[in-house]
Amino acid sequence: MSQVRSAEPEVDTLAPLDGDLRRVEGRTPWQLFWIRFKRDHVAVGAGVVVALLVFFALVAPLFVSIFVHRGPNALDQNLTDSIGIPILGPSKTAWFGVDGIGRDVFVRTMYGARTSLMVSFIGTGLSLIIGIVLGLLAGFRGGKIDTFISRTIDIVLSLPLLLMAIGLSVACGASIEGCAGGLIKTGVPLVIFIIALFGWPYVARIVRGQTLSLREREFVEAARATGFGTWHIMLREIFPNMLASIIVVATLLIPQNILFEAALSYLSVGIPPDTPSWGGMINDATEGSLYFVAWWMLIFPAGFLVITTLAFNLLGDGLRDALDPRSQR
Amino acid sequence: MKRRTIVALSSLVVLALVAAACGGSTSSAPSGASGTVTKGGTIREELQEFGWTSGFDPTGEYLGTAWALYDQMLMRGLMTYTHRGAEAGGDTPVPDIATGPPTVSEDNLTYEFELKTGVMFGPPVDREVTSKDIKYAFQRINTASLSALYGNYYCGVITGMTCDAKKVETDIEGIETPDDTHITFRLDQPVGDFLYRLTMPATKAIPEEVAKCFTQAGDYGPFLISSSAYMFMGSEDLDITSCDTMKPISGYDVQKGMTLVRNPNYDPATDSTEIREANVDGLQQAINTNYDDIFQRLLDGEIDVAGGTPPKGVLLKFETDPTYEGWLHADPGDRTWYITMNLFAAPFDDVHVRKAVNLAFNKEGVRKAYGGDKRGEIATSVEPPTVLPESVDINPYAANTGAGNVEAAMEEMKQSRYDLDKNGICDDGGACDDILFLGRNIDPWPEMDQVAMASLLPILPGLTLKEVDTSTGYTTLQQMKKLVPISSVPGWGKDYASPYGFDYYIFHTDGIYSCTGASNYSLVGLTKDFAEECGIGAEYDAYVQNNGEVPSVDAKMAECVAKPADEVNACFAELDTYLMETAVPWVPWVWANNWTSVNPTVTLYVFDQFAGTISYVNSAVDNGLAPENVA
Repeated sequence: MSQVRSAEPEVDTLAPLDGDLRRVEGRTPWQLFWIRFKRDHVAVGAGVVVALLVFFALVAPLFVSIFVHRGPNALDQNLTDSIGIPILGPSKTAWFGVDGIGRDVFVRTMYGARTSLMVSFIGTGLSLIIGIVLGLLAGFRGGKIDTFISRTIDIVLSLPLLLMAIGLSVACGASIEGCAGGLIKTGVPLVIFIIALFGWPYVARIVRGQTLSLREREFVEAARATGFGTWHIMLREIFPNMLASIIVVATLLIPQNILFEAALSYLSVGIPPDTPSWGGMINDATEGSLYFVAWWMLIFPAGFLVITTLAFNLLGDGLRDALDPRSQR
Repeated sequence: MKRRTIVALSSLVVLALVAAACGGSTSSAPSGASGTVTKGGTIREELQEFGWTSGFDPTGEYLGTAWALYDQMLMRGLMTYTHRGAEAGGDTPVPDIATGPPTVSEDNLTYEFELKTGVMFGPPVDREVTSKDIKYAFQRINTASLSALYGNYYCGVITGMTCDAKKVETDIEGIETPDDTHITFRLDQPVGDFLYRLTMPATKAIPEEVAKCFTQAGDYGPFLISSSAYMFMGSEDLDITSCDTMKPISGYDVQKGMTLVRNPNYDPATDSTEIREANVDGLQQAINTNYDDIFQRLLDGEIDVAGGTPPKGVLLKFETDPTYEGWLHADPGDRTWYITMNLFAAPFDDVHVRKAVNLAFNKEGVRKAYGGDKRGEIATSVEPPTVLPESVDINPYAANTGAGNVEAAMEEMKQSRYDLDKNGICDDGGACDDILFLGRNIDPWPEMDQVAMASLLPILPGLTLKEVDTSTGYTTLQQMKKLVPISSVPGWGKDYASPYGFDYYIFHTDGIYSCTGASNYSLVGLTKDFAEECGIGAEYDAYVQNNGEVPSVDAKMAECVAKPADEVNACFAELDTYLMETAVPWVPWVWANNWTSVNPTVTLYVFDQFAGTISYVNSAVDNGLAPENVA
C-alpha cells in the first residue's frame, strides 16, 4: 500500500501472436530500476570505479603493509636533495614517486582516498539526516514550521560557502581546544561539521518539495484515515517514496563534498598535514611550484580527485535516469 | 670620579675584533654583474605583511625588520652599529649622535656622553637634536601605557626608571641633561653591556612636540619624525601645529607599504660613511600577500629585494641555475631555532625525557625540510656562535650527530620515571598518552613538523601534532596555564649582540612577566608564588616533589652581566652549559642564517648584522628610479 505505482507496467501482458502464453512476471520498482540501470554502461562503469575506490580505501592499510611496507607518514629524506626537492619519481621503489620529505605518494594517495571518502560520506550522511528530518517537517506540517525552516534554508543557502568555511576553520583554529567549548575540533571533525552545516539545505529543499506533493496523495489519505500518526506517515509512508530522489541527491552531494574537502585542505584550513588528503597533497605540490620538477606530486592526487568526482557524478546521473525515467536532463 | 674613557674605548675595540674574528657572513659582496657602487635609485622590496608588534612605534616595537629601518634609515641615537655584516663589526656598538665613547665612572655606575651638533630632525620639526630628545625617549620607555617591550634593559638599571610611570612627563632621576649637548646616566647596578642597550631603537631621539600627542602603545608609528638620512615620503606635509591637525604621513600605510625618501635636513658631515653610506635615494616596501608572486616579481626584475625562504621552485633555480648565481644571500642571523619543552608539563617535567628528546631529535632532517644546510649550522647549544663564540664547544648531546640517535635516546629514557617497563619508551599512560606537539601550519613547518615527529615517536609514541598559525602558536605558548608540553613554534634572536641580550627574556624569570605573556616558554626559574597566581601551583609542587629545586639562571645571569667585558663570554658559556645539561628546556636545532634574495639590480649587497636584514643604507641599487616614481 505504501508504494506508489510505477508509470511502467509492472506485468508483461503482451501475448505472442502464435498464441503461446508467456509467463507473466511481476517486478518491483527496484527490479525495474536495476534493469534500466544495467543498460546504462557509463553509469555501471562509474559504479565499478566507485566500488573500487571504496575497496581501496578500506584495504589501504592492509595493502600497504603487504606490498609497500611504508606508512603514509613514513619518510625517507635520502630520496630528496639537499633542499628538499624530491629526486625519486614513479619507480619500482615508489610507484607514484615521493614528496618533499620522502613520503610515498602512492601510499598517501591511497590513504587520501580514505580521508576523502570518509569525510564526504559522513558529512553527506549528516546532511541527509538533518535535511530529511527538516524537509519532512516543513513539507508535511506546513504553516509556521514550514516558513521557519524554509527561511532558514534560504539564509544558509545565501551564505558564501567557501568564505564561511574558511572563516569557521580559522576561528576554530585560533585555539588549540577548537570551538564550541572544545566540541568541534579542527581537522577532520571540523570539515565534517562544515559539510553537514552547509549541505543539509540542499537535501531539505528537495525533501520538502517532494513531501508537499506526496502528502496529498491517496495512500497518505488512506494512512491518515486508518489512524496512523504524523510521524508514522512521514517516516513509513512518505519517506520511502522519496528514497529514490534522496539517493540521487546523495550521489551528487558526495563528489561535491569531496571537492569541498579538497579545496579546504588545499587552502590549508581543512585536513591537517599529518593526515593524507588529496587537497593537502595538491597543496604540497603547488608550494613553490614544486610540480614543475616533481610532477608526480600533483598528477596522482589530482588525477584521483578528478576520477572520483567524475565517477560519482556519472553514477548519480545514471541512478537518476534509472530511478526516475521521466525526468529530463 | 676617575674618568675611564680609554677603558670604554678599548672595550669597544676588543668587541670589534671578536666580532670580526667570528664573522662568517656571505654578505658585503657585490651581487650584480658590474659590482660597481652606484649612487641613487630606489630599493624596491615586497613583503607579505609588516607584522609590527607595536604599530612601528620605536618605544614598543619588537620586530627586527622595524629595527633595521629605525637604525639604518630613520633614527639616530647615542650609539648605533655599522649596519654591516659580523665580519665588518656589525654587531659592535659605535657612537652615532655621541661624539665618541662615554666617560664611565670607576664604579661603572655613571656614563656621560657628549652629543654632536648639527644633527637635525627632518621636516616638519626642522630643528637640532638635543640631549633632551634622548631623555624624552627614555621617559617614553618609562611610561606604562607605551608598553616598552624590552624596558627591563633600563628599568631597574637606570636610577629612577621603573617602567610604570603614569605620564610621559615624569622625570627620571638617573638621567641628567645639563645642556643640549650632554647627557649623563646613573645606574643602580653596573651592567657590562650598557652601550649595547643604548643602541636599541627605543632609546633614539624622539621630538616631544610631536610624540607628546601619542601616549598609547603603537600610536606614534605613522607619525615618526626622522633624525637620520631618510624619512617617510610626505613628512613635510605633516601639520604639527596641534595634536588635532596631525594626520598620518602619506608615505606610510600599514596595509599598503611605505616609501622612504632622503631627509633634506640630514648632514652627512655629522655621520660616518662607515655607518651610513646612504647610496640609494629611497626605499619602497610594498605589501604583497602572494608570496609566490613576490619572488616571481623578483625574477622578473620588478622588485630588487625579497626576504625569507624562496618557494622551492625558485630556490631550485637559485641553487642549480648559473643564471641565478649570487641572487640568494645567507647571513648569520644571530638566532636559534629550537624545540621548547615545558618543565611543568608531563612527561617533560622529568629531565631524562628532555635529554632523550635532545638525543633523538633529527636536526639534519628538520633543517633539510627548512631549506637545507644554507639555512644555518646545526645547533648544539643555546646561543648562536655569532653572539657567543664559545657555544660551538658546548655539545652535551654529541651522541646525536645531527640525524638523531634513537638508541642513545632510549637509554636516556630508561632512566625516566615515565618509562615504567624500562624499554626506552615513554609508556606511563597518564603522562605519555596524547602529548600535544604544537607546530605551525604555514610552510615549511608542516614538513618540518613531520620530520620532527618521526624522530621523536620511537621514544614518545603518544605525541599528537597540532598545527596552528604562527600568531596563535605564540599566544598559546604564552599562556602559562595551557602548559603546552612541547612545541616547534618559536625561534629566538638576540635583542642585541651580547649573550645577555639573547638570554634575558627567554630564560630569566623576568621573561615570565605575566600569566598570559611569558616569552620564557619553558618556564625556567618559575617561582611558587607566580605559579600559584597563574593557576599551575599543583604542577609546580609536583615538579619540586619529584625533582627538587626548579632550575633558574637568574643569579648566574646577574653575575655574568656584572663582569668586566673580557670575562662576560666565559661566564655566559657556563650559563649556556647549565641550560643544556641541567635545565634542558630546549632542543636547539639550527643556528639560523637569514636569507635575502636580490635581483642583479642590487649592485652592492651588504648585510646588517644587528637587524638581520639587508643593509638598505649601505647597499646600492642601479635601477635609476626615484622613490617618488616607484609608489
